[in-house]
Amino acid sequence: MYRLANIGQRVTTLKQKWFWYSITSAFCWAGFAISARYGSTELPANMMQFVAAFGFVAFGIVLLATRGFRLELNKRGAVYGTIAGVLLAAGGLALYAAYRGGSNTAVVTTATSLYPMFTVLLAVIFLHERITFRQSIGMLFAVAAIVILSL
Amino acid sequence: MHAPWLWFSLLVLLSWGTLGVVQKLTTNIISAESALIWSVIGFICLQPLLYGGPAPFHYTSGALGWALLNGVFNGLGAWTLMAAMSAGGKASLVLPITAMYPLLVVLVAPALFHESISRLQAVGVACALISVVLISSDSAHGHS
Repeated sequence: MYRLANIGQRVTTLKQKWFWYSITSAFCWAGFAISARYGSTELPANMMQFVAAFGFVAFGIVLLATRGFRLELNKRGAVYGTIAGVLLAAGGLALYAAYRGGSNTAVVTTATSLYPMFTVLLAVIFLHERITFRQSIGMLFAVAAIVILSL
Repeated sequence: MHAPWLWFSLLVLLSWGTLGVVQKLTTNIISAESALIWSVIGFICLQPLLYGGPAPFHYTSGALGWALLNGVFNGLGAWTLMAAMSAGGKASLVLPITAMYPLLVVLVAPALFHESISRLQAVGVACALISVVLISSDSAHGHS
């Protein structure tokens, strides 16, 4: 009976919009990594970031258009949002340089995907959030991964 | 710890790790869509600093196409993540699913780039994947 209910829940999940959006997002990030690797073989990191920005801006314009060109103008929100964009670009720049460094695509992609570890650490320090047991185990795996990949 | 790629990867971790906190602060104040649009503005702030060396059209159209596509994937990844959350997906379920993207890359990299990884690297990759899923399952932060 429990088993049937479990299967039913799984089927329901497959019908949920959020599930397919999540899957699409994972494929987009994979596409992001693969296109970064392909582009970086020829373009230096700065040029890669420069050109990629046009694709990102094009997406931003489409998103803005779908909102009827309405943008929240809260000062603090705008400042934090802009800083987020600078950090996103800075991370992208370093990522392209890492790919261009000629190392293995799979290794660079997985090593750079460990960034939530720093987010959790910073959230604990600055936002005074609590770390869960599961996250602590995850942090240990992250440290192990960094050490192993650096060998 | 001397390989250049490793230092650049650590820079990625620092930048995107901090980004997670800043995004959380941003979305406490404004909607995720507005946050993304302000991020686009921040993103292009670096443009004047980046433009140097040969003009973009010095490079092949293929490489420029990949770079443009890369920017579009960045935006699409961010938008679909937000859409998953606003469609009722719990962060504890949505983030671990999206955090599995390196697995897709690990699976297709040998075919696309004719690369192979050593056993030790495979162990490191496995540890990283487990780590990302465990950390993301209790976190509400993403990279875009």
